Amino acid sequence: MNGFLLTVGLILCFLVLLVLYRVVFGPGVFNRIAAISAVGTKTLIILLIMGYLYNRVEMFVDISMVYALLNFIGCIAAAKYLEMGKE
Amino acid sequence: MEVTLLIQAADESFRLLEKARGQAVDLLNTAVKLTSDTRSVEERKLQTFLSSGQDAKSGFQNFIATFVMLFAFWALLSGKFDLFHLSLGFICTFVISYLSHDLLFANVRVGDIRVIIQRFIIYMPWLMYQIITANVHVAYLALSPKMPIDPQVMRFKTKLESDISWVTLANSITLTPGTITMDIHEGEFVVHALSQKVADDLDTGEMEDRVAHVFMEADHIYIQDVLDVARIFGEMRRAA
Amino acid sequence: MIFRKDDIIVNTISRILIPFIQLYALYVIMHGHYSPGGGFQGGVILGASMVLLLLTRGYDEAKYKFPEQIATLFSSVGVLIYAGIGLLCLFVLGNFLDYGKLAALLNVTPSHARSLGILGVEIGVGFAVMSVMYSIFLDISTGGVLPEDEEE
Repeated sequence: MNGFLLTVGLILCFLVLLVLYRVVFGPGVFNRIAAISAVGTKTLIILLIMGYLYNRVEMFVDISMVYALLNFIGCIAAAKYLEMGKE
Repeated sequence: MEVTLLIQAADESFRLLEKARGQAVDLLNTAVKLTSDTRSVEERKLQTFLSSGQDAKSGFQNFIATFVMLFAFWALLSGKFDLFHLSLGFICTFVISYLSHDLLFANVRVGDIRVIIQRFIIYMPWLMYQIITANVHVAYLALSPKMPIDPQVMRFKTKLESDISWVTLANSITLTPGTITMDIHEGEFVVHALSQKVADDLDTGEMEDRVAHVFMEADHIYIQDVLDVARIFGEMRRAA
Repeated sequence: MIFRKDDIIVNTISRILIPFIQLYALYVIMHGHYSPGGGFQGGVILGASMVLLLLTRGYDEAKYKFPEQIATLFSSVGVLIYAGIGLLCLFVLGNFLDYGKLAALLNVTPSHARSLGILGVEIGVGFAVMSVMYSIFLDISTGGVLPEDEEE
């Protein structure tokens, strides 16, 4: 089970690198926001997998929840900021 | 002779027509009266229901509901059930539900909350299945070298009524890969679809029907219509 | 300046989420000595929930729940709680924030007193961080000029 989780975590890390390309080079700001939100989602799952690997799930669940919340609020804040700048 | 016969026949037919017209007007009047009666009764019922909801909104019931919900959430998070932590949780939940008891249950619900939760749990596996099939489709679109995408923006009027069901439908559409809800404006959904297939899938309206079923919308209207029509038909049959 | 937008999805989702975020923040503050988190992190989450309210409802509605004067008051009260517990330890002949010495005052064992002292300090820190975050966000988003200041 540990090996399986480790493999999944590594694959997700690789996918984060792929998405990071969009964050850095992505044309326009909307691509960047979507990519950052995708990176946040993958980081959340990676944190949970780390929790399973270290046998401290109850600790990492808290951290990943905070991560999800701040990701959500940050996304809304960025969207609001862009919306205001357009007008 | 023939002229008088003709006039008589015309008179007869006019009288018959007059009689039939009177009967039809009577029938229509009774039908209208019946529907208006049932309507007013229904409206009164709805009004009492809504006003009780309004009272509860300003009153204590809303606070209690928020408190129970948040305390269950606290117990789920904390996992410690000694007296010290339970009292801490009690104080925290009390403060939060006092501060934001108007947020969680802001609008008046139409249906029974227990039935809604039950139906929502049944709705989840179907949504999961939809997500998985759409996921496979979008993966095929992304990986095939010709990239057979056909991006389009579609608009449709929804039959849903409350904002919570709108939000559920919008989030279900966004969760399904390939389609994204861009905006809801006065009941009109603006949806971006990646290909013709996902747009067609959305166009069948199955998801909307299921969300309406979850939030107990449309089915009460349907039953009411059937009852109205049945009463009118009964009256007409008795008159005939 | 942030005004309210009639965006149904964002408004409804944040309306449902805000009480849970606030309760979660208090959970992080109160369980800081068992699990990750503590005063600062919980305060940040609490401040984020207030910022979410401000973002979705606009200041015109958010000021009924959490006006700026209250935020200023809370930041001072948080520091007061923190420093007060520290000074209390000085008065019972310990070092600053030496909670073990509070055992005689609270009539409990030193380890329990340490736990309670840390909890109090974390509540203070949480208050201060929450209100300072909220104030900073408010000042940045309005350019330092609130509507009620303009009216005067």
